[in-house]
Amino acid sequence: MFKKESSGEVMSTSTHVARFILFLFMLIVALLTLYPVLYVVFGSFKENGELLIGGINMFPKVWIVDNFIEAWQKADFSVYTINSVIIAVGVMILSLISSGMAGYVLSRRNFKGKKLIYGLLMAFMFINVGSVSLRPLFELAISLHLNTSLFSVIFISAGTAQATYIFLVDSYMKTLPKELDEAATIDGCTFFQVYIHIILPLLRPILATVALLSFRGGWNEYILPLVFTMTDQAKRPLTVGVTMLKNSGDGAAAWNIMFAGATIAIIPILLIYIVASKYFIEGLTGGAVKG
Amino acid sequence: MSETKAKTAVKAPKRGMDANTSAKIATVLMMFPAVLLLCVVSIYPFLWLFRYVFYDYNGMTSYFTGLHNFTRMFGDTAFWASVGHTFEYAILKIIFIIPLALIMAELMSQKIRGSGVFRVIYFMPTIISTAISAMVFGFIFAAYNGVLNAVLRATGIISQNINWLGDSNTAMWAVLIVAVWGGFGNYMIYFMSGLSSIPHDVYESAMIDGAGGLTTFFRITLPMLSPMFKVIMMLAITAAFKDYESIMVLTQGGPDNRTQVMFLYIYQLLFGTSTTKPQIGYACVLSLVAAIIVGIVTGLYMLLARKLDDVM
Repeated sequence: MFKKESSGEVMSTSTHVARFILFLFMLIVALLTLYPVLYVVFGSFKENGELLIGGINMFPKVWIVDNFIEAWQKADFSVYTINSVIIAVGVMILSLISSGMAGYVLSRRNFKGKKLIYGLLMAFMFINVGSVSLRPLFELAISLHLNTSLFSVIFISAGTAQATYIFLVDSYMKTLPKELDEAATIDGCTFFQVYIHIILPLLRPILATVALLSFRGGWNEYILPLVFTMTDQAKRPLTVGVTMLKNSGDGAAAWNIMFAGATIAIIPILLIYIVASKYFIEGLTGGAVKG
Repeated sequence: MSETKAKTAVKAPKRGMDANTSAKIATVLMMFPAVLLLCVVSIYPFLWLFRYVFYDYNGMTSYFTGLHNFTRMFGDTAFWASVGHTFEYAILKIIFIIPLALIMAELMSQKIRGSGVFRVIYFMPTIISTAISAMVFGFIFAAYNGVLNAVLRATGIISQNINWLGDSNTAMWAVLIVAVWGGFGNYMIYFMSGLSSIPHDVYESAMIDGAGGLTTFFRITLPMLSPMFKVIMMLAITAAFKDYESIMVLTQGGPDNRTQVMFLYIYQLLFGTSTTKPQIGYACVLSLVAAIIVGIVTGLYMLLARKLDDVM
């Protein structure tokens, strides 16, 4: 790539050629990036025999949809899919509630312990004890009899990610003039009413980002539901269900089911991304670097 | 008439006080969900860690074992090997992912046709579940019917299948390929936002001075990017040390512990494997040590970044 740039530097007339070479380079990287996804999506329409033989063909010799039917009916993927949706939507709702209100309060009010909360939120973005936190939470869930409910998974997933979302909302709040609140207060709105009637509608763009990011977070959660559904197959989301198949003895040969399962896990979030890629990308830079 | 007026006059300050207290109550109530999540999900597990540090605990019963967990750690070659692998993995990941992300971000800023579509494509892997994409790569890397071997054989690069995930010479590279694939789009977006904050007239004056593409990149872009670059590196370092989800799916730390990283090792101690029971007290000690190691690395990096500032 450096070579290409320097050739553009020598002859300005060859700028077009240089730009075309750069374009080719970007295209190759794009194809390499896309390849695994295309491979699994097209592969899920192949017969298991074709998958087990392998080969370099991306498209199936014979197109079939049986893999999806089998995965959906026999391999419990309908249950996994419903669980994934419950987790993702649950995480999204809880994240919107907690980060919207916390972001508003933290940016608009001074109260005792505010700095402490900021500090702790920030610290736990960096302090990482890895999987260890799952153990006490697992035991806590057992003692509260919540270990077989997806609620604990939703709660923990939302809690682990909330700092980012709170900081996203907090930094977005700074762009909303305080005069708005003051005017509403003079008109008789309470602090909470200002939030509901004035602020919430204005927060819509950033809350859309929070909604998408947290939905993705819940949908893609893996180790957390793996731990919580170790003994309860009926509560597994797609990520756990599909990968479990890979590790189980008789599933190792069922490539077609795993391909179909992986495709079912990928496609919904991919469609959402294609429609709303702007929000995903802006959410990243708005939260992590600026916030 | 005058009576009601007097009443409201008396009431007014009282209502003001009420509004104040009600705002206070609202503050507490509105912070409640976030604070509850913070306490339960972040603070409680962290404090819990210290409870079992001196115990042998298998999930059912616990025995006080004093400093045994600590002495065991110093002699645990498997753990220290996993620490070594974590460093190897993190350093290699950063060596590949940061330059790639920076190059792609720089190319993006050249406003080449199709940039918008490319940006969406490069960022796409970060949207997909790490576990699922690791599994898909598991298919691609498969020794007998994997597509990677098929392609390499068809092009004559190899004559015999390579067991990418099962061979200790290649497993780490396979894991790294998945990590770079899954993460470069993330850092590219960070760099793009850094690049867009560099004022345009700086580039214009460089062009007038006759600086070429490469000169501009190294003399202007990189130095101007430097504050942002440090933040991005910091994020990349902490993220690279944390990764274990995809390794768990791809190799489960194998072959022969070749891709065993410390957080995966700890996970296996915490919840046990098919052949071993949980050893929670010991896992608590190791995760504290792991957190300290990451802390030291981050601290050293920040120190180094500051030193570089003084030099440059």
